[in-house]
Amino acid sequence: MNDMIRPEQIAQPPVTAPEPMLVIDHVTKRFETPDGPVVAVDNISLTVGRGEFVSIIGPSGCGKSTLFNLVGGLLSISDGTIRIDGEAINGPHKSIGMVFQEDATFPWRTVIDNVAFPLELQGMAKGERLERARHFVSLVGLHGFEKRYPAELSGGMRQRVSIARTLAAEPKLLLMDEPFAALDEQTRLLLGDKVLQIQQELNQTVLLITHNITEAVQLSDRVLIMTYRPGRTKRIALIELPRPRTSEMLSSDTFGRYVAEVWADLREEASRGMQDAERGSR
Amino acid sequence: MAATGTLTIPQKSKMDAVLVLRIAIIASLLVFWQLLSMSGLLYEDVVPGLPQITAGLYRLLTTTEFYVNLKVTAGEILAASLIGGLTGMIAGLSLGGSYFMERAFERYFYYLGPTPKIIFFPLMIMWFGVGSGSKVAMGAVSCFFPVALAVAAGMRRIPPILIRVGESFRANRWQMLTKVHLPAMREPVVNGFRLGFGVALIGVLLAETKLSNQGLGFLVIQNYQRFDMPGMYALLIAIFVIAVAVNAALGRLSRGGRRR
Ligand SMILES: Nc1ncnc2c1ncn2[C@@H]1O[C@H](COP(=O)(O)OP(=O)(O)O)[C@@H](O)[C@H]1O
Ligand SMILES: [Mg+2]
Repeated sequence: MNDMIRPEQIAQPPVTAPEPMLVIDHVTKRFETPDGPVVAVDNISLTVGRGEFVSIIGPSGCGKSTLFNLVGGLLSISDGTIRIDGEAINGPHKSIGMVFQEDATFPWRTVIDNVAFPLELQGMAKGERLERARHFVSLVGLHGFEKRYPAELSGGMRQRVSIARTLAAEPKLLLMDEPFAALDEQTRLLLGDKVLQIQQELNQTVLLITHNITEAVQLSDRVLIMTYRPGRTKRIALIELPRPRTSEMLSSDTFGRYVAEVWADLREEASRGMQDAERGSR
Repeated sequence: MAATGTLTIPQKSKMDAVLVLRIAIIASLLVFWQLLSMSGLLYEDVVPGLPQITAGLYRLLTTTEFYVNLKVTAGEILAASLIGGLTGMIAGLSLGGSYFMERAFERYFYYLGPTPKIIFFPLMIMWFGVGSGSKVAMGAVSCFFPVALAVAAGMRRIPPILIRVGESFRANRWQMLTKVHLPAMREPVVNGFRLGFGVALIGVLLAETKLSNQGLGFLVIQNYQRFDMPGMYALLIAIFVIAVAVNAALGRLSRGGRRR
């Protein structure tokens, strides 16, 4: 944002190792509930470099959304720190854009006005922001629906509006919480390709929360597998597939091996989660 | 689009049926009134016939007296709605926005809300005089409570996710209020204002009938004391029509703008 060079910057020696985009440093989140404290995220550490695409995968209820909200600055951290661009966050950081798991469109705004929302907050002129919003509406395949209200769209289309809205702000660090969960398989794959393409163009850093193994392997440089209750790091898998990636490589042998590898780790946690759910429902 | 087309047609014919029914009810009421008036069961002075009332209406609408007093009352109601609505809105926003405020004060709003405000009228006269001031105060006090409660309830019904979206895009306080909170609670707020306007109207007119020397409420009482029944009925009809028209306009406002 601030391109001006201040005198003290000239005097400083050049920085050797660039500060990573996102540092999650021994972060713990406890919720105080009437039944005592619940540890949703337990001592998680993760460093995400500039331009990197990292996924966090784990069974339902393991603390993924909690971690997402912590990084987004919408929840207070119990222990540890989160740094973005070297700054310890307390509140939503300016470099971040968030796509939420829930339906988050504004029902009183049309598709185009929803997407233009962040630009409106920045004070961008009307003509310019509508033009830019139109571009991102087309990008998520909603061309022709600009004047529709969310109530007139399907759940998957509304989620695409949310994605377009966050992308329109061109965040340097894109955080997404199961953004494709409400979409059908084909749309999910195509939109995944789109997100990757934008990520490359803008050299964005992406942290994707998902419970879909294929999606995690297809898109990510690294996949963090979380344990079920409390949410800890089980393993970080390195996905060394060539880029640019497209949904076409889904059928390759290497791809299948990565999926199997992640599943092997996730399986144990998922079955623990399932047992827990069964116990709870009884 | 085709689907909406097939939907509107039966709706429209249903609307026509509603309209016919309404006209039929009004017509039979008028006939009943005229028959009652001619039957001699009640004094003709108390239940004047339709021709007398029509004549009274004509007299009313052709004298400047009516318009002068209408202007006074309209001004009082407007001022009362503005003052009561604005303060009610601020109170509602702070009640709805803070759990502490809700715990501390909301129950008193529920106690005071339904209390007939006319019991405060003697106080209002002492504080604001016998002129328009006390009428405006009565209307404003009446208007304040429904608006405050509607705004507080509306604020609590905003889906939390929409607030988180606003926060994640770093909206400042003013932007949160004008671009997230208020549009999200538009319907309950407008309905609260409608209700508030209605009771402001009641408050002002009631106060005018109690103690005043101008306004429509004063005219009603004056006609009553002169025992000018056709004039009084004409006045009641005029007030009723005005109230209905304003309410319909406000209703349109609450539905307008957004398609559902
Ligand atoms: N506000 C809260 N208060 C208490 N417990 C919470 C709260 N939010 C989440 N939790 C608990 O934290 C755990 C993780 O939740 P969440 O982060 O939503 O999981 P995920 O997104 O992986 O499905 C769950 O056990 C949930 O019940
Ligand atoms: Mg979740």
